[in-house]
Amino acid sequence: MRAPQQSSGVASALRAWIGFALLIGAQFGVRPLIAGRASVDFAVIAVLFAAVRMRPGLAAIVGFLTGLALDALSPGGFGASALVLTVVAFGASWLKAVFFADHVALTGLFVFGAKWLFDVVMALLTGIGAGTSMLVALLLWSPLSAALTAMVAVLLLVLFRPLYRPQSL
Amino acid sequence: MARNVRGEGRLDTGLLLVCVTLAILALLAPRRSRESVARGLRATVLLPLVDLEARSAGVRASVMARNALLVSRGRAVADTLSLGAIRDENTTLRKLLGLSARLQEGFVPAEVLPARGPDEFTLNITAGSRVGVQPFLPVVTADGLVGMVETVDHVSSTVITWAHPDFRVSAMSIDQDAFGIVQPHLAAGAERWLLEMRGVPFRAKLETGTLIVSSGLGATYPRGIPVGTVIGELSTPEKWARTYLLKPTVLPENIGPVLVLLPGRGDRGVNGVWTSVAAADSAARAVAAAGDSLARTAAFAELVARRAALDSLLADSLARGDTIGGGLSSRSAAAADSIQRDSLRRELMRRDTVRRDTDRRGTSGREVVGNRPPTRGQ
Repeated sequence: MRAPQQSSGVASALRAWIGFALLIGAQFGVRPLIAGRASVDFAVIAVLFAAVRMRPGLAAIVGFLTGLALDALSPGGFGASALVLTVVAFGASWLKAVFFADHVALTGLFVFGAKWLFDVVMALLTGIGAGTSMLVALLLWSPLSAALTAMVAVLLLVLFRPLYRPQSL
Repeated sequence: MARNVRGEGRLDTGLLLVCVTLAILALLAPRRSRESVARGLRATVLLPLVDLEARSAGVRASVMARNALLVSRGRAVADTLSLGAIRDENTTLRKLLGLSARLQEGFVPAEVLPARGPDEFTLNITAGSRVGVQPFLPVVTADGLVGMVETVDHVSSTVITWAHPDFRVSAMSIDQDAFGIVQPHLAAGAERWLLEMRGVPFRAKLETGTLIVSSGLGATYPRGIPVGTVIGELSTPEKWARTYLLKPTVLPENIGPVLVLLPGRGDRGVNGVWTSVAAADSAARAVAAAGDSLARTAAFAELVARRAALDSLLADSLARGDTIGGGLSSRSAAAADSIQRDSLRRELMRRDTVRRDTDRRGTSGREVVGNRPPTRGQ
């Protein structure tokens, strides 16, 4: 009985890592094509989808490494993305029992909140912008980006259910 | 079990703390260290992602550049298309400036407003009673007469053009040999945009291309404004007077900025103001000469057709003669000679007929110069 369960777990983990890799690939391959003031953040989706399948400690490491990769490609605030994604991933993994009870709408809401939080903390940490422009960025463009990201996350969950359904790794 | 769970919780918290500490250290590290770490990551593990991002950015830049290229091409095409219109407008304005300089004073410049209704024969202009415009004042361009002010508002006026059914102007040939009344040619199709000069005395014959100008008789139009050029004579039931078809000097599509001649200016006359009269005259003559050449070509084609028809008639009559007489074999050589003589006589007759036809054709050409079919009174 244990052998089939183990193979199922390995397949699930493999699917999860493939899904994660695809989303990270989209972050660098698709996002630049549709770049605008409000854009989809595939990295946040990837970290959240991976985090809800992991233990919080492991999720924190995934968040940290993903953030570090993002920071390396935009070294202005090196470490900021790593810090924020670590916290977000840990929180997502810790709260998965509450929010990720296989409920698509709640998942969307959670992605929206996570992305907005990510943008707010990033703005505060990197100190980009000030005054009105920062307010506009945080109250207009960030929510729009968060909404877009949440929509894409929900769409991915609906269309690629086997790849992104929440199961423990 | 509980101890195990507690242990895992501590491990998770520990990992979180380690990650957070590392992130904060990265954040607070000296700039040089941060850049060297980032560079190292980009050159190793992140190399595929960097490459992917660069390709995507390149694709996007190409698409944007193509869009920009298409936009700039469209703009260039639009500019090219509008260039001709601008050149024409410049020419018109230069001519009008020249006319203004020759008139010196006593006129009001005005722009033509876009048409507000389906009436093609009236214009609205941007000059009204505020600048001294009154009804019945002549409206001109550098090419000649446009029409007459009909109604006047405070800041705009309505003008009837030469194509309006109510338009009339007393006119004369440039050599003052023939006088008549010019009015629109009320025909169908493109000929509606021509003028006709009625009531020209029978003795006054106008050549094609003769310039017709206003005669100054009557109180509206001063003497010497170009109205049109003769392109042919129309046959009408009035045998005591001639009617000529005129090509207007101001074509409808060329009516842009106009000048309204004020009353005092009209009284003083405008002789010598339209200095391009001679050029217009020669251009009109060239057009007429081209028309004559076309008429000659048409007459020659008709002559050839007539000859062919007569030849075929001759062949038919010979064939009939064979049948009635029982064929050439039963006839003698004398009969053949007779046919030959007959044929020769017919040939001579045919030449006469052709000559008569040619003469008649020449007469017809004089009736309607330029091979124009008469359109009215027939």
